[in-house]
Amino acid sequence: MGESKSEVLQGTLDMMVLQTLEAMGPLHGYGIARRIEQVSEDALQLNQGTIYAALLRLQQRKWISATWGTSDNNRKAKFYAITKAGRKQLASETENWQRIAGVIGRLMRLSQ
Amino acid sequence: MNRATVLWSRIRAFFSREQLDAEFADEIESHLQLLTEEHVRRGLSPDEARRAARLTFGGSMQFVEDHREQRGLPFVDTTMQDLRYAARTFRKNPGYAAVVALTLAVGVGAVTSMFTVVRAVLLRPLPFAQPGRLVEITETNPLKNWTHTVAAPANFLDWRARNDVFADMAGYVGVDDRGASVLKRFVEVNGEPALLTGIAVTGNLFDLLGVRPLIGRTFTWQETFDDTNVLVLAYGTWQSFFGGDPNIIGRTIRLSGRTKRVVGVMPRDFFFPNRTAQFWAPIGMPSAELEKARRPHYLSVIARLKDDVTVAQARDRMTRIASDLERMYPGTNTQMGVRIEPLHQIMAAGARPTILMLFGAVIVLFVIVCANIASLQLGRGSSRTREIAVRRALGAGRSRLVRQLLTEALVLSIAGTAVGVALASMTPALLLRAAPSALPLFATPQLDSAVLFFSVALALIAPVLFALIPALSSSRIERLADRSDSGSRETTRSRDVLVACEVALAVVLVVGSTLLIRSLIELQRVDPGFRPDHVVTFKATVPGLKYPKDADMTRAFSRIEEQLRAQPGVVAVGAASTIALRGYSFTSDATPEGRSGDDYEREARFNSVTPDYFKALGVPLLAGGWLTERDTGNAAPILVNASLAKKYYGTTDVVGKTLKPGKPSDPDPWQPIAGVVADVKQDGLDKPTRPEIYMLYATSVQNPATFVIRSTVATDAIVSDARAVVRSIDREILVTDVTTADAIVRESTGDERFRTTLLTGFAGVALFLAALGIYGVLAYVVAQRNRELGIRLALGAQPRTLFRMVVTQGMRPVAIGGAVGVIAAVLSTRLIESLLFDITPLDPMTYVAAVSVLAISAAIACALPARRATRVDPLVALRQE
Repeated sequence: MGESKSEVLQGTLDMMVLQTLEAMGPLHGYGIARRIEQVSEDALQLNQGTIYAALLRLQQRKWISATWGTSDNNRKAKFYAITKAGRKQLASETENWQRIAGVIGRLMRLSQ
Repeated sequence: MNRATVLWSRIRAFFSREQLDAEFADEIESHLQLLTEEHVRRGLSPDEARRAARLTFGGSMQFVEDHREQRGLPFVDTTMQDLRYAARTFRKNPGYAAVVALTLAVGVGAVTSMFTVVRAVLLRPLPFAQPGRLVEITETNPLKNWTHTVAAPANFLDWRARNDVFADMAGYVGVDDRGASVLKRFVEVNGEPALLTGIAVTGNLFDLLGVRPLIGRTFTWQETFDDTNVLVLAYGTWQSFFGGDPNIIGRTIRLSGRTKRVVGVMPRDFFFPNRTAQFWAPIGMPSAELEKARRPHYLSVIARLKDDVTVAQARDRMTRIASDLERMYPGTNTQMGVRIEPLHQIMAAGARPTILMLFGAVIVLFVIVCANIASLQLGRGSSRTREIAVRRALGAGRSRLVRQLLTEALVLSIAGTAVGVALASMTPALLLRAAPSALPLFATPQLDSAVLFFSVALALIAPVLFALIPALSSSRIERLADRSDSGSRETTRSRDVLVACEVALAVVLVVGSTLLIRSLIELQRVDPGFRPDHVVTFKATVPGLKYPKDADMTRAFSRIEEQLRAQPGVVAVGAASTIALRGYSFTSDATPEGRSGDDYEREARFNSVTPDYFKALGVPLLAGGWLTERDTGNAAPILVNASLAKKYYGTTDVVGKTLKPGKPSDPDPWQPIAGVVADVKQDGLDKPTRPEIYMLYATSVQNPATFVIRSTVATDAIVSDARAVVRSIDREILVTDVTTADAIVRESTGDERFRTTLLTGFAGVALFLAALGIYGVLAYVVAQRNRELGIRLALGAQPRTLFRMVVTQGMRPVAIGGAVGVIAAVLSTRLIESLLFDITPLDPMTYVAAVSVLAISAAIACALPARRATRVDPLVALRQE
């Protein structure tokens, strides 16, 4: 699994999903997608299907767990919840992200 | 850690993929419904909402596929898919699959069988501690034509005392030319006499080999010289003769009248020098006696190199020791050198050229098999053009197609290999039954893990050889229109190249086997020097303890001879200490009359015979007369063979001349030559006859004696009569080596017949496959050109012309391949020069014969499809498309 440019976006989506679950508690795929769209104030339009690729990746790494449950309007749905390992990962990713964001921010200011 | 977690999750998902697929479908469905509801809330109609939901979700099934790929094990999935596809293809065309798998089975079976032998003889390390450090030491002497002769005990003791290059050195006595033990002893088991064969060893042998006994102990160096009567048993002997008696250690057994005490039993896997040895006993001769024994030579010697010493250094050191001995003992050690070779290498030396040749031959055969299948695949590839073009059109990538075709090939290859290995698993038993003497005695071929590993490697290599090119070529097909002539012409060209390769390789094998056949014919034409028909022989060993005096032994042998002569149907009976073609005889100095100084025979073979021996064996007298019972005494008359007479007198007319059984300066008496007999082959039909001297048994008794009976009745009857006669005289006289003279002659060419039969078999299969290849291509071409041929016939072409046209096309690759093959044969048959007798590797007749065989086979392979070409019905051909 080499690092390529598209991975950056993938990784970002993974992080957003983790953060959403951390903030909102267990959610189903639709809920997560909606939440991300809402938070981004619909600036980020994603093919909601891609959420599932992120969910599978996170599951395979045991950062989130999944159980079948019932949604608000009585529909069968799969609920995802962040795990302990997921929280740890999120913490380190957040720190990493902030560091890079800080560096990029400084760089941008410099070049202005 | 992370990667392992992911892999584990993928593996788990792979095994529950159906459930996961269903769940995923549910999950998406529920997502879509939620989306739809949202869109309905925003005011869309249900239909529009559903469509909008799909759009938001992101559409196609592609992403379900991606999900599946990321979730499970796509490599395995694809392979499974290919396997299912392959299975379906084979079901649709089982004949083709079977032909490929079985052809491959023949190839793999042959290679694996031979590898089993290669492994047993050349590769598997000897089961001793650090076997690579073990060497064999023999003596050489140009004056005696010795290149590797067993050592004299006194020389051995000096070597052992003087060298500083070996950790230790040990010797043993009692093996024949092939290394089979000949020390035969009687043992009473439950009152029944049974035969045990063993060897006599120096006490340090087992320690030198680094093998501990299973129970008890082995010998000490001191026991070499003591008359302690101790014995170590082989595991098999302990089990079958003594019922695995747990109290065997310390038990005494009677061995040919002597009481022996068992002190140890060796482990089950142990053998030395090979599996014919059932027991080991110390040499048991006083050191004072051994230290003086600088002749005769009868001690086989092995040694273990010190850790930091190379074979070359050991040779160097030992050569210096040998020249010291030469100076000290000029009477016996003149020009006596030493030869040191790695033990395993020397044990395998006799079989090595044959085994390597046969292994080379099966590899060639294997390549032919693969070329043949490749040609078949190419032909089939063009009949699968449609299928492949359709799959390309539907989006199958080229690499994906190649992969699928290779998977298909791998399945065939594994099936073929499985059958081949099953065939090869019969090799050990088959070899043991068909050609027991073909392998050195120490080697036991078996299908062990190394052999299996080798055949797995074959199974993996084979598809690359036979399927890669066809797969690459058929995956290139882009359009259905490629079914055109140009495509098939290219295929045919590739197939022609393959056929030419097959033909070239087959020619090499055919030339090789023809050379072996011709040299075997030459060999069997050699006159052994006697008439082997209607002759039965056996060896009789009298127990020495019971017959202490020479006269007692002579009497026993005479009684056997007399009573045998009285049996019905017996024409003549005689006995000798060594009989024809059995090598291994007593040699010594001899001085023919008129020679002096250094000019004497140093390797005369001495053979003790009874007067009727020559009559019984059918050896003609060339000059003078036979010996008679009265020719005993100090200066008794003797017979010599033609080789001796010619070597020293240039003629067989030497009756009346005298000969001294020793050096010119020795005090031995001069013995008159009573007659000259024809040369009887001693070591083999292919070996020159050495000077031999015959004296009367009574003057020089040897134990055992080999009896020779010429009779007019069936072999079985004579054999049972002979056993009864010996038993009636003394049931403790051992009768062994019962056989016929015909069998002795036949066995003497056993190795030659073994390798000739096998190589001829391989060559036959190769030739058949090459012919099949030629036939396959032509049949395909004729089928392809059916329409054209039909039109030509309709327009008045002569069938003869068409026949010639097809045959010409078929013979072109044969001619090219044949020419290349002859060149390859010229270059490669030099490697088997040492296996040929009386014929050079470039023997022109052989090449003519081989090329003719090839031409005839190829012509038949061409004629069948060519005939079909002339019988095309124009109407049917035209309607076909």
